[in-house]
Amino acid sequence: MSYELIAISIFFSMMAMLLTGQRIFGAIGGVATVFALLLWGEGAADMPFHASFILLNWYPLLTLPLFIYMGYMFSESGIADDLYRMFHVWMGPLRGGLALGTIGVMTAVAAMNGLSVAGMAIGCTLALPEMLKRKYDKIMISGVIQAGSSLGIMIPPSVVLVLYGMIARQNVGRLWMAGVFPGLLMSGMFALYIIVRCWLQPHLGPALPAEERRMPWGQKFRLLSAGILPLLIIFSMTGLFLGGVTSLVECSAVGATVTTLAAVFKRRLTGKVLVDTLRNTLSVSCMFMWVILAALAFSAVFDGLGAVHAIEILFLEKWHLSPWGIMIMMQVSYLFMGTFLDDTAMLVIVAPLYVPLVIKLGFNPIWYGVLYTITCQIAYMTPPFGYNLFLMRAMAPPEITLADIYRSIIPFVFVMIIALAVVMVFPQIALWLPNWYFGK
Amino acid sequence: MPKAIRIYVRYVEAANKAIGVVSMYLIFGMMGVLLYESLFRTILNEPHIWVVETAQFIMAAYYLVGGGYSMMLDSHVRMDLLYSKWSPKGQALADSLTSLLLGFYLVLLIIGGFAGTKYALVYGQVNYTPWAPRLAPIKIIMTFGMVMMLLQVIAQFFRDLARARGKTIP
Repeated sequence: MSYELIAISIFFSMMAMLLTGQRIFGAIGGVATVFALLLWGEGAADMPFHASFILLNWYPLLTLPLFIYMGYMFSESGIADDLYRMFHVWMGPLRGGLALGTIGVMTAVAAMNGLSVAGMAIGCTLALPEMLKRKYDKIMISGVIQAGSSLGIMIPPSVVLVLYGMIARQNVGRLWMAGVFPGLLMSGMFALYIIVRCWLQPHLGPALPAEERRMPWGQKFRLLSAGILPLLIIFSMTGLFLGGVTSLVECSAVGATVTTLAAVFKRRLTGKVLVDTLRNTLSVSCMFMWVILAALAFSAVFDGLGAVHAIEILFLEKWHLSPWGIMIMMQVSYLFMGTFLDDTAMLVIVAPLYVPLVIKLGFNPIWYGVLYTITCQIAYMTPPFGYNLFLMRAMAPPEITLADIYRSIIPFVFVMIIALAVVMVFPQIALWLPNWYFGK
Repeated sequence: MPKAIRIYVRYVEAANKAIGVVSMYLIFGMMGVLLYESLFRTILNEPHIWVVETAQFIMAAYYLVGGGYSMMLDSHVRMDLLYSKWSPKGQALADSLTSLLLGFYLVLLIIGGFAGTKYALVYGQVNYTPWAPRLAPIKIIMTFGMVMMLLQVIAQFFRDLARARGKTIP
């Protein structure tokens, strides 16, 4: 059997195993070990364990549980409540104002943590009931929360960019900086979409009634101070890191500590909040780590088969694609796989195959990291696979059905694809800030 | 289900829960070590060589030893495109079949773990860093976590088998 054929059969066995509904890490790890033993015999028996040592030596991976901890501490302790109230009062009078406020909160939350789970939890517990009460269209609500929470992986700090940085051997500081403007661009595009849509169809997002808006200006301005605490958290983390005071991993520890202190300061840190946060952190960290562990074993098998070279030959010599053709092929294949695979697993399996090719073709790997992250956001949104779908299903009230959740993401996915195209055509949106900062 | 199996499931789950609840707190260990270092380095200008590895070791222990408990919490995501449409019995049947593959993966992890631990013990392997800590202790902890994970997967397998036959293990 040729190597290409083996690679294809491994890939399809993995897909088949995933379809059985076994836990992702079990399906990927199992297929990897079976094929490793078939291909290389006993010598491959150490390979799965070896992957655990690669993980141990990946220092930036330490940020993962710490960011997860921060996100849960943030949402469980209700520090976000005041922030949401601030946006609620200031944006309420507009049509679709609460939806805009939700995007605002999500952008702020994204700047305070590196994953989308926290945004999702805050969106479902805070924004969702408020918007339902104000007779917002349920498809609009579900779409706004999912699209908003997806910003978490783009706006720094970003765990996806940390992982990408490890795999592509790129500087995480540059990657984080490159994520700032594309993240804000997307947030702005979401807001624009909401404004236009609610202006055309006011029933989707009615403005708050006048009596609810009546609030003395003094109180309105006092609410603005709710934004100070998040700024403090953002500075203690991203600020210290980008300022070069603390290292990447240290900044996540500082951020986790500051968030805990903020919860204490706000008198919100009860025993239950602490234990729930710790249990959820362990649960989600284990999920990620075991998936990465299995995906590393899988990609070792792929690597051993020379898949990087095979893909290069396929794209360049068999299909005669131009560099841009390859770039678009890669994004399309990511989007396609994203609908099947978990995005962490996808990153560990596919990025090592594509990144060397990207660099060889003369594209900027930092810029590509941003494109990859946008694709990840889209993959995260699209069914059948996405944490947002699990979370939404678990947290949303029964009147929001699964079909509503699926339908709600469509317009936002279009907006994201436009954003992807914009960043592809204008790389400066991503690259200007890191180039300016690092003085290139 | 025979009594021996029920006892096995009960003890393994109790053990994994206890271990998991303890390992939950390891995240404070990571935070503490890193915070200590950032304070000492930035304020007192006194870096330490043991910090990075200590934090890494805690991390490895955290997710591997906590693994069994995470199985109990059902935290591991599945691709449930088809799975979610099956009856609970069908899901249990599918799980009990496919967890054989999962078990196979874990067995190989553990084989590698034992081999690695043995090597580290016999040759007194140290890490290639200035601090050069011995690797045997962390390898033992990691392998222990993997064994506990396998025991939990087996317990889960018994549960699924019982559910597939329309029974439950208390």
